[in-house]
Amino acid sequence: MEAGEPRVIAIGEKGSALLPSVVAIGPDGAITVGERAIEMEPHLTIERDGQVSAVGFAGGEYGAVIRSVKRYMGLGGDEIAAEDRARYAFADLSGPVVRFQIGRRVFTPSQISAEILRDLKDGAERALHAAGKDEKVERVVITVPAYFNDGQRQATKDAGRLAGLEVVRLVNEPTAASLAYGLNKMATGNVAVFDFGGGTFDISILSIKEGIFEVLATNGDTHLGGDDIDRAIVDWLIGELRDSLKLDRHVWNSARTAAEDAKKRLSDVAGTDVVVDLPGHSIRKHLTRTALEQMAAPFIARTLKRCELAVADARITPADIDAVVLVGGATRMPLVRRRVAEVFHREPLCSINPDQVVALGAAVQASVLMGTQGDMLLLDVVPLSLGIETMGGVMERLIHRNTTIPTSVAEGFTTAVDNQTHVDIHVLQGERELAKDCRSLARFKLGPIQAQSAGVPRIEVTFLIDANGILNVNARDERTGREHSIDVKPSYGLTDDEIERMLEEAIDLGEQDLEERLLISARNDAEQILGALQKQLGEFGPLVDVGERERMEEVAGRLEAARTGTDRELIAKLVEELNEVTTPFAERIMDAAIKLALEKKSVEELS
Amino acid sequence: MIECPSCGRRQEPLLICAECGSPLAAPLDCFAALGLPRKLTIDLDALERRYHELSRRIHPDRFASSAVAVRGASLRATATLTRSYRTLRDPVARGLYWLELNGEKLAENNKRVPPELAELVFEVQEQLAEMRDAPADSAAARELASQVGARRVQLQARMDDALAELDRNFAKWDQPAQEEMLTLELKTILSNIAYLRTLIRDVDRALENAKAA
Repeated sequence: MEAGEPRVIAIGEKGSALLPSVVAIGPDGAITVGERAIEMEPHLTIERDGQVSAVGFAGGEYGAVIRSVKRYMGLGGDEIAAEDRARYAFADLSGPVVRFQIGRRVFTPSQISAEILRDLKDGAERALHAAGKDEKVERVVITVPAYFNDGQRQATKDAGRLAGLEVVRLVNEPTAASLAYGLNKMATGNVAVFDFGGGTFDISILSIKEGIFEVLATNGDTHLGGDDIDRAIVDWLIGELRDSLKLDRHVWNSARTAAEDAKKRLSDVAGTDVVVDLPGHSIRKHLTRTALEQMAAPFIARTLKRCELAVADARITPADIDAVVLVGGATRMPLVRRRVAEVFHREPLCSINPDQVVALGAAVQASVLMGTQGDMLLLDVVPLSLGIETMGGVMERLIHRNTTIPTSVAEGFTTAVDNQTHVDIHVLQGERELAKDCRSLARFKLGPIQAQSAGVPRIEVTFLIDANGILNVNARDERTGREHSIDVKPSYGLTDDEIERMLEEAIDLGEQDLEERLLISARNDAEQILGALQKQLGEFGPLVDVGERERMEEVAGRLEAARTGTDRELIAKLVEELNEVTTPFAERIMDAAIKLALEKKSVEELS
Repeated sequence: MIECPSCGRRQEPLLICAECGSPLAAPLDCFAALGLPRKLTIDLDALERRYHELSRRIHPDRFASSAVAVRGASLRATATLTRSYRTLRDPVARGLYWLELNGEKLAENNKRVPPELAELVFEVQEQLAEMRDAPADSAAARELASQVGARRVQLQARMDDALAELDRNFAKWDQPAQEEMLTLELKTILSNIAYLRTLIRDVDRALENAKAA
């Protein structure tokens, strides 16, 4: 924030403000984030056992390049689509948390996200340093799709913690966008925020009144985005070749890039040629905007259905909406803008860059949290209903979707049979009638309860949803007033112990990585000086006397031997020593070179 | 009496400390949380203003850098406030809550169909059953769907009437010495509304399914 206005900091190598959410992990655990990770992806594709997901790194071992890790946040192994299983190698998918298998190591989506956050933190600190402000980034506001469930939010918070950051608040992306737009003109009225990104869709309806941004309703789909449209184009482009041609990942990647580029071009022109290079030949097809719009229509129709539901939940009509805000790259499509305008009977606002508006809004929220925007306040909602499993596997709603947060509800529990000492509680999230169709959030075991007749114990369990939309649970024995211990087992996601262990591992690995890097760099130095010496002895041999040559070869021999070992300090010492004994030789070479150059020059002058 | 986590003052339960203005995690009923008398008639605009004003003072966003105890009090106080606001804002939820405060409950003896709705309920359920049995995408199915669509309009009209009746009666019931009658009448209207709500939900679901088929 500068003078009350948010500004996006450019942190990329090329001065870009966007860090692509791409993470490359080498077989040795070396991590690369952003543009450079993308560069590692296509030309290093290696096929192994018919699986094209592996990426080759030096040494013939395997690593991986992971895109849009946000899509995997908070998912269980059983929620991974077949398409994703073909793309990445996963460790044991029966577990409660998805884990990417990379070499012999496994990484959770939270760990991968933590790398992106760490990179952003470093970049921001560098940029602040360059601007003369030596400030550390320690506390963060992270934005999430509004329709993220409890597990996805928890996983996002875990990522922040793993990156060594204190997550002060998770803010819903459409809500953040409304903050960015609402800042200048503290208007009063209802706003619809249509957020169509690469992988997720959100619609939020807000009421703004004297600086209070109150979310009335939100709806969305965490698996619907511009990527779906790209995939439809890819299918049209090369889908018929799927079986006849053995398509490797390289082809899919270039087809996807071609599709995405064509989609972007068609926002400005009526038709364009799309070219995909295949081994041996290339495919060229003509795509018109009309044809693209036909492919995109079903996906856009799904977003509009969500809009209808959100407006109904907000208990208003589309005519009551005073402004529509567009967020996310996919809203650049003219068809999206047209359809949104039709549904809400007004032209949408898109004056703020749709890729940056969420970040700008998050900065505004951060300054609200710092107490420097005293007149603004955000009242957000929980996107999905929360309840518990009751008799017959039915979901009983305790907190309805679109309830303003923070909120809490207390529910009384008792025992069903005599002398029962524990009560099992299964917490669910979702809108379906049956427990099995809702998402399992956690299982609690209440107790130990004093053995009594059935129905006598009275335990009050309080479900509290905080301002991040994350559930907290507390239980109290009504008769004794004692707080009950709750053994919380998240159905999906990481337990506190697991996070602690990952943090310890990260620290250990950090030290190990540093040691490895220093060793590699010492070896490189050794290799370089030994190579140079060899070359110079070959070219300038006559400039060395016998005793000098022996001394140099003796040190070089010892360095050669040390180079294959792991004693970094010995290598460094011998490099230094060899450098010293070869200095006189190097100086003579320099002299000779200068003399030669002068002679040549004088010859040229004469001629 | 509760103790303020910020200044330590012991006081009557409130959402905001009378001494230092910090949030308090006090157990309060919905009316008390918003500083209102226990009356069924509520000015909704004033209620919203009060809710916003209190939110500005106790919301967790205002205490992001405070001590853990203060942050916890802010979280709990705001949860109580939002819950109270949502309950009182909706006339039906307000009525049900009022019953609960008076030791009454609707759910337990609400199994019987209210007499004045019996005929309607019967007819609608008949139609819904026919709709389920009709072959998908047949002329009969389309005809039934349009009949049920007309029913939906009729049900909404009945619902609007019931809500208006509820609203009219709130003022009457707020008069003292009406307790006995009040509880019975309130129960009847709320029970009708609950029934209509279930019917409308079933009809909407059936229409949605017909559309999808």
